[in-house]
Amino acid sequence: MIRLLLTLVFVGCFSLATVLDPLLKGLHPQGNDTSSVIGALMGESRRLFANQLFVEADVYFHSGYYPSMFDATESDLDVNEGPAGDANNHSKLVNGRLHVEEGEGFFGRPRDWLDGFGRHFYPTEHTHLANANIREILPWLRLSADMDPHRIQTYLTASYWLRGTLDEPDQAIRFLHEGLRANPDSFEILVELSYVYDLNKKDPGVARNLLEDALKKWKEQDAAGLNPSPKARVEILDGLVRVDKEQNNVKQLLADLEALAEVSPNREAIEKTIQETRAQLAAPAPGRPN
Amino acid sequence: MNNVIALAGVVIKELYRRKDFYVLFVMTALITLVLGSMRFFNNAEIVRFLKEICLMLIWLSMLVIAITTAARQIPAERESRTILPLLAKPVSRWELIVGKFAGCWLACLTALAVFYFFFGVLTATHAHAWPGLILFQAFLLHGVFLAVVLALVLFGSVVFTAQSSNATISAIVVLGILLVGGHLDHVADGMKGFGSDALYAVFFAIPHLEWDYNLCNFVIHDWPAISWLYIAGAAFYGALYTLLLLGLTWLVFRRKTLTL
Repeated sequence: MIRLLLTLVFVGCFSLATVLDPLLKGLHPQGNDTSSVIGALMGESRRLFANQLFVEADVYFHSGYYPSMFDATESDLDVNEGPAGDANNHSKLVNGRLHVEEGEGFFGRPRDWLDGFGRHFYPTEHTHLANANIREILPWLRLSADMDPHRIQTYLTASYWLRGTLDEPDQAIRFLHEGLRANPDSFEILVELSYVYDLNKKDPGVARNLLEDALKKWKEQDAAGLNPSPKARVEILDGLVRVDKEQNNVKQLLADLEALAEVSPNREAIEKTIQETRAQLAAPAPGRPN
Repeated sequence: MNNVIALAGVVIKELYRRKDFYVLFVMTALITLVLGSMRFFNNAEIVRFLKEICLMLIWLSMLVIAITTAARQIPAERESRTILPLLAKPVSRWELIVGKFAGCWLACLTALAVFYFFFGVLTATHAHAWPGLILFQAFLLHGVFLAVVLALVLFGSVVFTAQSSNATISAIVVLGILLVGGHLDHVADGMKGFGSDALYAVFFAIPHLEWDYNLCNFVIHDWPAISWLYIAGAAFYGALYTLLLLGLTWLVFRRKTLTL
C-alpha cells in the first residue's frame, strides 16, 4: 500500500513538473544564453568573470607584474596595445620578455619596511611577453570568450596576437567566425577578419567583401542611432583604400579616398592622394595612342 | 628530546594512515592532468596556465591537510583521555606541544615534497625544462608557511573547545591574511584617526604569509631565483611567529585542565 502511494506521489510530482515548468519559463523569459551550461548556471554574473579572465590575460602579458585592486590601476590594458605600445617605450628584449622602462611603476614607492621587503616576493619589473611566449595569454582569452561570447574585445585581442606574433591565421579566422556567430552585427570583428585575409592570407578580394559588409553594418547602426565609433568608420575606409591599392583598382580607390576624406582627421594628406589618383586616372595607359 | 621525537613519530604515522593526503593528491593530479590534456587554439606548448592551476591546488590541499592534521591533535588526546597517561610518562606539556608540532610539520613537509615533485615532473613534461632553483625556494617558503599555520592551529586547539570551530576560524584567518593581509597598509592610508592606527597595528602584527604565496608568481612566469638573503629573511620572520605561537600555546596549555 505504501509503495503504491509513493509511486502515485512520484507520478503526481512528475506530471506537475511538466505543467509548471513551461508556465514558470513563460513568467520569467530568459535570453538565448541559457542554452549553454555556463549560461544557465551563472546567468549574467559570468560577464564579471569574463572581464576578470581578460584581465588575467593582461597579468600573464606582464609575467605576473600587475597591480592589485588596492594599487593604482591603469585605464587601458597593455594586452590590447601589443608591440605598437612597446615601440613607444624604451624597451629591450631579454629571455623572451620585453623589458619596459618606466618611472616608479604600478606600485609606487614602498610605504613601510614590510611593504618594501614583501616586494621581493613578487615580480616588480615591467616586462611584456614577446615572440612565441605570447601564447601563454591565450587560455584566458579563450575562457573569457566562453564566459561572455558577446565581449567583442576578447576576439579582437586574441586574433591580433594569433595572426601577428604567433602567425596562426587559421586559428584567428576560426575564433573570429565564432565571435561573428555570437555577434552577427559586429563590424569590428569583420574588420579584424579582413586584416587576417588581407595581411596574412594575401586575399584582398575576400578582405574587400568583409570591409564592405563592415561598412554596411556601421551605417545601419548609425542610422538606427546606436552611435557606432566614428574611428571605426575611418578604419574601415582606410582598409578599403589599402585593398584598392593592392588590387590596383584605381576607380574604386578614388571613390573610397573621397569617402575617407570626409571623415578622416588627416584630410590634407588624403586630398593630396586624391589628386595623385585623379592624375593617374586621367593619364593615358602606357602604349596607347593619344 | 627523545620524547619529542617519539611524539612526532606517532603523528607522522597517523598522517600516512589517514586518507586525507591520498585523496587530495589524487584529486590535484587528476584535475591537473585533465586540464593538461586541453588544447587552446591547437597550441600544445601553453604551460603557465597549467602551472598556476596546479600550484593553486597544491596550496589549497596543503592548507586543508595542515589545518585538519593540527586541529585534531590535542582535542583528540583529551577526548580519548590518552593525554593523561601520555603526560604521566613523564612527558612535559611543552614537550607534548613541540612533539605534536614537529610531527605535524614533518608530515606536512613529506606531503609537500610529493606535491612539488609532481609539479616538477608536470612542468618538465610540458615545458621540456625543469623549473630550476626558484621551485626549491618556493618549496622552502611553503614549508615556512606551513610551520606558521600549524603553530596557529595548535594555539587554536587549546583556545577553542571544538575542533571544527578551530579549523574554520584558522582557515578564515589564514585565507584572510593571504588575500588582504598585504594590503592593510594601503587601506589604512586611506583612513583617518584611530581606525587608521588600528589597521596599521594589525598590519604589523599579523604574520605576512602572503609573501610565501606570492613567490608562486616567479615559478609560474619563469622568473629567475630571488636572492637567498630574502628567503632567509622570510624564513627567520616565519620562525619567529612560529615560536611566538608555540609559546602562547604552551602558556595557555600549561594551566589547562586535561579532562573535558
